Amino acid sequence: MRKTPLYEAQQTLGCKIVDFQGWAMPVQYDGILEEHHHTRTRVSVFDCSHMAEFRVEGEEAIQAYGRLVTNDISSLLAGRARYGALTTAEGGIIDDVITMRTAEDALYVVANVSTAETISSILTAISPGVRDVSDETAKIDVQGPESRDVLTRMGFAAAGELRYFHNKWVTWEGWNLLLSRTGYTGELGYELFVPNEAAVSLWQALLEHEAVKPAGLGARDTLRLEVGYPLSGQDFDKSRTPLEANMHPFIAWDTEFPGKAILEKQKADGGHQRLTAIETEDRRAPRSGFEVFDGDQKVGVVTSGGYGPSVGHGVGLAYLDPGYQEPGHDLTAGPRQLSIKTVQLPFYKKGTARK
Amino acid sequence: MNPEHLKYTKEHEWIGEMDGVHAVGITTHAQEQLGDITFVELPVVDTEVKAGTPVVTIESVKAASDVYAPAAGTVCAVNDDLEGQPELVNQSPYEDGWLFKLEGVDASELDKLMDAAAYKAYLKELDDA
Repeated sequence: MRKTPLYEAQQTLGCKIVDFQGWAMPVQYDGILEEHHHTRTRVSVFDCSHMAEFRVEGEEAIQAYGRLVTNDISSLLAGRARYGALTTAEGGIIDDVITMRTAEDALYVVANVSTAETISSILTAISPGVRDVSDETAKIDVQGPESRDVLTRMGFAAAGELRYFHNKWVTWEGWNLLLSRTGYTGELGYELFVPNEAAVSLWQALLEHEAVKPAGLGARDTLRLEVGYPLSGQDFDKSRTPLEANMHPFIAWDTEFPGKAILEKQKADGGHQRLTAIETEDRRAPRSGFEVFDGDQKVGVVTSGGYGPSVGHGVGLAYLDPGYQEPGHDLTAGPRQLSIKTVQLPFYKKGTARK
Repeated sequence: MNPEHLKYTKEHEWIGEMDGVHAVGITTHAQEQLGDITFVELPVVDTEVKAGTPVVTIESVKAASDVYAPAAGTVCAVNDDLEGQPELVNQSPYEDGWLFKLEGVDASELDKLMDAAAYKAYLKELDDA
């Protein structure tokens, strides 16, 4: 298994390590529920160094990149970011990506580990201006309502100014770091992209704060699900289109991207499944792979599901047929006919991400 | 530590005499593997079960899994405290976190199960595998 620069520092803290996509990653420290609640109320730090990062520099490279994603990159202002998808020629989702414009002539692209190799070969082929910086970059997510205070006290003055989905290159202890006000928890939070060599000292400096605790991939999953963020490789892959994955707000129809004609036709025709939020009334949870039924009729499948620790009931995401994608449908899921209802996202509505 | 007076299954359930009937639960190892338990679906009292029948579903933040009856019998009590506090199974798997009680258990059937020493050896075997 591959190890992140924070592997030893995390082992010392007593976490449980699992193989995640070929990486030795912490799944939990004190327990998923406790880490979940800590993130919703204080601050958690997550090692996300396994994720992939790319620098796209120069006008030609930026334009070429813009033709691969569903977003409009030409109108993306320096210091801001957009969420979107890289698509196949058939309109399927290769991965969801955050594209930041970090300077007038530079983008910084963050992708998931499950598709890192595919994306690296696609992006580095479009222009010599694209560089895969994953191997030299560690990523620490600092998430929770007190994250701004903690970072400000550590000397990250920009943390106090950055608005949601804004970013800035900053210096800390002599290192250049990219500070981005984004995250995967629904809480006020930041993602810090740092050189490998600076990762351990930054991690330890964060943990010196009383409000800060480490959290693992387990809590990351319950946190993201409660706010309805899909997980690449689980809630979508090449077999699903951005329209099906409920990513229509992140498609700029007046720009070019692979598979656009197919998606235009799908949009006009309608009638496709769509990723829909479902919940239970009690603590029983829908699980990935559960088939969804309306009476005897199969109407979809659950791709993510679990207990929502902050909402106190089961939550999930399911691809459902037309006619079932609006809130208020009573359905059943799984072999034991668990009662579920379609609802509006997010499940957890008190998130501080935009505060 | 797995208590000496209980018997254990390969599926990590325990069974032991309590007030004239037999209580059933899951082991420390099982609750550690499941992680934080969020829901326990208990059987209906008076249900007759055979050894190996799935009787309880335990849901954790990670997954849902079944608990099987270690021996045949009739469910005569369930642990209602788990409805509001499923975490008792994590905190006290051999005492407050018991799941259900069986009456009419044939004590000779329990001889087929592992004692604490055999279960400890079994866990070590799993760990080494």
